[in-house]
Amino acid sequence: MTRGAAPPRSRADTPAWLVQPQAPLRPGSRVGRRRASFLERTLGDGAEVFRRAMYAEIDGSRGALQRLDPRAKLVALVALLVAVALVHSPLTLVVGYAAIVAVAWAGGVPMRSFVRRVWLVVPAFTAVAVAPATLSVVTPGQIVVPLWTWHGAPQGLTRQGLLAAALIVLRVACSVSLVLLVTLTTPWNRLLGALGALGVPRIFVTIIAMAYRYLFVLLGNITDLLMARKARTVRPPDHGAGDRRFVGAAVGTLLGKSHHLAEEVHQAMVARGYAGRHYALERSRFVAADVLVVLAALAAAVVILGVDRVLR
Amino acid sequence: MSCAEELPASEPVYAVRNLTYTYLGRFAALSGVSFDVRRGERVALLGANGSGKSTLLKILAGLIHPTSGHVAAFGKALTETALMEEQFNRDFRSRVGIVFQNPDTQVFSATVREEIAFGCLQLGLPPEEAQQRLDDVLRLLEITDLVERAPFQLSGGQKKKVALASVLVMNPEVILFDEPTAALDPRTQHWLIDLIGALGEAGKTIVVATHDLHTLADLTDRALVFAEDHTLLADAPTPAILADPAALLRANLIHDHRPY
Ligand SMILES: Nc1ncnc2c1ncn2[C@@H]1O[C@H](COP(=O)(O)OP(=O)(O)O)[C@@H](O)[C@H]1O
Ligand SMILES: [Mg+2]
Repeated sequence: MTRGAAPPRSRADTPAWLVQPQAPLRPGSRVGRRRASFLERTLGDGAEVFRRAMYAEIDGSRGALQRLDPRAKLVALVALLVAVALVHSPLTLVVGYAAIVAVAWAGGVPMRSFVRRVWLVVPAFTAVAVAPATLSVVTPGQIVVPLWTWHGAPQGLTRQGLLAAALIVLRVACSVSLVLLVTLTTPWNRLLGALGALGVPRIFVTIIAMAYRYLFVLLGNITDLLMARKARTVRPPDHGAGDRRFVGAAVGTLLGKSHHLAEEVHQAMVARGYAGRHYALERSRFVAADVLVVLAALAAAVVILGVDRVLR
Repeated sequence: MSCAEELPASEPVYAVRNLTYTYLGRFAALSGVSFDVRRGERVALLGANGSGKSTLLKILAGLIHPTSGHVAAFGKALTETALMEEQFNRDFRSRVGIVFQNPDTQVFSATVREEIAFGCLQLGLPPEEAQQRLDDVLRLLEITDLVERAPFQLSGGQKKKVALASVLVMNPEVILFDEPTAALDPRTQHWLIDLIGALGEAGKTIVVATHDLHTLADLTDRALVFAEDHTLLADAPTPAILADPAALLRANLIHDHRPY
């Protein structure tokens, strides 16, 4: 560290093993095909899939939904989310879900990934919370699937419990679908711009924007880290303690690295004049169609709640 | 928008006095550094890894602020408070562009188009003008065909070009480059060096952190050499620095067996 103190390393300092050539490849030596470890596959695939999903290409000119003003979509979204949260009949939600899928289909949203994404996310959010509620121990009532008896009384899944669970699952499914419908048809930048335009405080918009970018840094780093590990792994993966040790060490580096990069990402934004506002290249104009969408969403919300009242 | 009208020709773009920067109160990155940068000058920051070049560039870009000492830009103190003032922030940001070493830092929007337009829109350019500039800069950097791609679909060199485009599109007076040619293939390196040369000839003030002694003479008029103890070891015209192996050796920039 002191000025001119450390002399540059000369060739003499190079350890002998480093200049020794490696043994030639043994001909015919059969090393079984290296299978990727569970960790590598799940983490790596997950990161990549997620990354691609989040960068889902949005063709702004394609469908009617894509062309709508993001502000209109956000207002409609909030109205419908509130309605979904207040609904009490699973039947209403089933009809609602069908309607959302129909709108998505009509709007040119890729159906398969739309439906799949929802049903990948929903169980993750609900399974743990919902499953116990179906049991008579938790939700007493009319037993439809007897599982065991306790003190002579049959125990199992109750009608009430199943209905309650269905209600929660459907509510989450509808909400996630609605959110996806908006995010899949609106470029991220315009969505943030719309949040600002609708009066969401700048600090929140910044936090959302940065969280999103940070997530990418993290995902990118996960992929890189796994690749670097793969490149250095000579022995087949041990699917166990080694993996766990690796995860422990990796999480530390990952967070450190990601934090550093995220900080620079923020600096790069600030250097280009970022102060928490988002602007889009396309000027958005509120046209008749947008007004119509907001009105339709409000009407739908009222109808949903009305129908729900009848069905209960 | 040009600062030529506002600044007397002799007024330095940057005046740095006794600058010290310490990370987290413990890790020194710069210590007691003083220098000026004049309009249109092309300055190299030379120094071994860890000598504080990146830190200095971030300070010159107003992204971090000195632990002690003083930095003035365009005749005005460059402090956190000064940058909170919206007008100064806008003026400063539109005049000073920084190209980070790691292009991942700078290429993050959903598409290349959005990334490049970002700065223009932040500075309040009307979308039509932003679009025009976007088209021009895409053509200049020969990346028109990448415009709809997502960042993860780009190679390292392409990302670097996009990062560069996202800064050039704002037409800054002063451009700070952090190791611009690192990790680029030779062809792209040469292309980039030519581009930086052209920007210099167009009157831009350029500060470039580099290890690359080969291209130094073409790229810069003056070099600041940083020692491994984070002090400023030498400040002289580039040819003089290149002719002084002792200084380069002291900065651990060259190897005694193998002068560059
Ligand atoms: N975020 C940080 N936290 C702590 N120390 C840092 C950080 N960034 C850089 N440093 C330290 O500051 C010194 C200068 O770093 P840097 O400016 O990146 O040097 P250079 O760009 O010349 O390689 C180094 O010793 C480095 O370890
Ligand atoms: Mg550096």
